[in-house]
Amino acid sequence: MTLLEIRLQRFRNIAGTSLRFSGPRQFFQGGNGQGKTNLLEATGYVTALRSFRSADHRPLVMNGADEAGLAMTFNHETTGETRVVIRLRPDGRGVEVDQEKISRVGDVIGRFPAVTLSSDDIQFIRQSPGLRRRWLDLALSAGDPVYLRELQRYHRGLAGRNRILKNEGGDRELSAFEQTMAETASALTPLREEGTRQLSETLQTVCGEISGGAETAALTRLAGGTAGTAEEWLALWRESREKDRLSGGTRRGLHRDDYELSLNNRSARDFASEGQQRGLVLALRLAEFRYLMEKRRVRPLLLADDIVNELDPERRRRFWKFLGEETQVLATGTEPPPEPETWQRFEVSGGVFTELFR
Amino acid sequence: MTPTFDTVVRLLKQLPGLGHRSGERLALHLLVERSERLNPLVEALSAAAAAVRRCGRCGNLAEDELCVVCADGRRDPATVCVVEQVPDLAAIERSAAYGGVYHVLHGKLSPINGVGPDHLNLATLSDRLSNGEVSELILALSNDVEGEATCHYITSLLPDTGVKFSRIGFGLPSGGGVVFADAVTLKNALDGRREYH
Ligand SMILES: [Zn+2]
Repeated sequence: MTLLEIRLQRFRNIAGTSLRFSGPRQFFQGGNGQGKTNLLEATGYVTALRSFRSADHRPLVMNGADEAGLAMTFNHETTGETRVVIRLRPDGRGVEVDQEKISRVGDVIGRFPAVTLSSDDIQFIRQSPGLRRRWLDLALSAGDPVYLRELQRYHRGLAGRNRILKNEGGDRELSAFEQTMAETASALTPLREEGTRQLSETLQTVCGEISGGAETAALTRLAGGTAGTAEEWLALWRESREKDRLSGGTRRGLHRDDYELSLNNRSARDFASEGQQRGLVLALRLAEFRYLMEKRRVRPLLLADDIVNELDPERRRRFWKFLGEETQVLATGTEPPPEPETWQRFEVSGGVFTELFR
Repeated sequence: MTPTFDTVVRLLKQLPGLGHRSGERLALHLLVERSERLNPLVEALSAAAAAVRRCGRCGNLAEDELCVVCADGRRDPATVCVVEQVPDLAAIERSAAYGGVYHVLHGKLSPINGVGPDHLNLATLSDRLSNGEVSELILALSNDVEGEATCHYITSLLPDTGVKFSRIGFGLPSGGGVVFADAVTLKNALDGRREYH
């Protein structure tokens, strides 16, 4: 898909802007804190109705305003010219696709996919598991709404079980929630296994295309509970009850999965150089791009925050070759990009966007 | 506007489905615009408050010891349909697809909202199951995690009584309750119920 037009009102530091895009390359140039990343954030919001920078949507509404508005017009592979309007208020949000109200995230997730590349992506390798879990859950949810539905059910069941543990509720009540968790966990486990396997395979391919085939890369699931079938999950939680009561929460389960990135069969966190780590997370994002494209048959937008100016010439050449002519890329940087004439360029200052014509 | 008027609005807007503006409209309507409607309403409310109670057997609304369904000799007392709320029962009655009796839980297990087994109408259900009058229990609870956990809880109450458990839910709106389904969907859901363990 391509983004034809975006209008923002009271979104972070952007009081109001309306941009029409022509061609597949847009570059937003400006100093830090001027609003260029905010524009990418707004564009990426539509993928899963969440920001890639903040779990909470309240910071997205301009200080002192009571509502932020986002309107985007896409040219979409399956629905043609499609308009998405999102209103964000401190107490909630409203989403419309072609004037039809969307009440559930599951009805829109992955329909308008965008993949974000950011220099913070290296934290995938370095930080605690939460970031990796959220990323994987988001990628799999955007690829398959069934995954999201089961994931939401699992977390609802988990929240119930945790509350019963804290309230010292009875075993019969615990068991009732363990059974619903076990049903969804047995549906989720193979989806996660298969999704991780597909992403890992894609990562290996992409790594070859980006780095010239010298390295092997893999993404591996480290299970937060060794169970697969509903019976196995049920047994695991039943046996964990006493310890879970003491710790006041469910210590094992799919919510404790972690994912390891490896390079040449060794943990990238422990053995890869910073340059290798950066290359690996770039390949991981591009693997996400290809995964979504294959799953949804929609070409995602690529949002590159402070990335294109950082690539060395050889990697840049492979990067553009990977994306091809059709992929729309919205990129930011503090300096003009290499080959500036190939981009539609905007200068960003204090939340105001000005198109540059030379 | 006036102290007593404001009190009425404040009480009305606490009612389900009413906000400040609709509370205000109702109060104006009853006190000023159509005040002749006020006394019949007040009388009906206080008469109902004195008369309406829970059916001693199933938890449905009743004015006698038993509700109209339980008291109806043509209904099959061996088939019991378990619902969360009285409106769910009313929705199934409107579909005219069901000839058995009911059991109203007045809620579903929801630990994160502070609803545990003790808050539900479960004790009388255990009694009904253990005295042998029930041969089939149809669970018509919402199609979400809490509804499912409640089904599991109920089946665990009496695992070996020989009571046949079945569950409707197929065709019900995902995540929604019985009350959101139309009559045709409900009839199909009842006809297509599956045995449940
Ligand atoms: Zn009754």
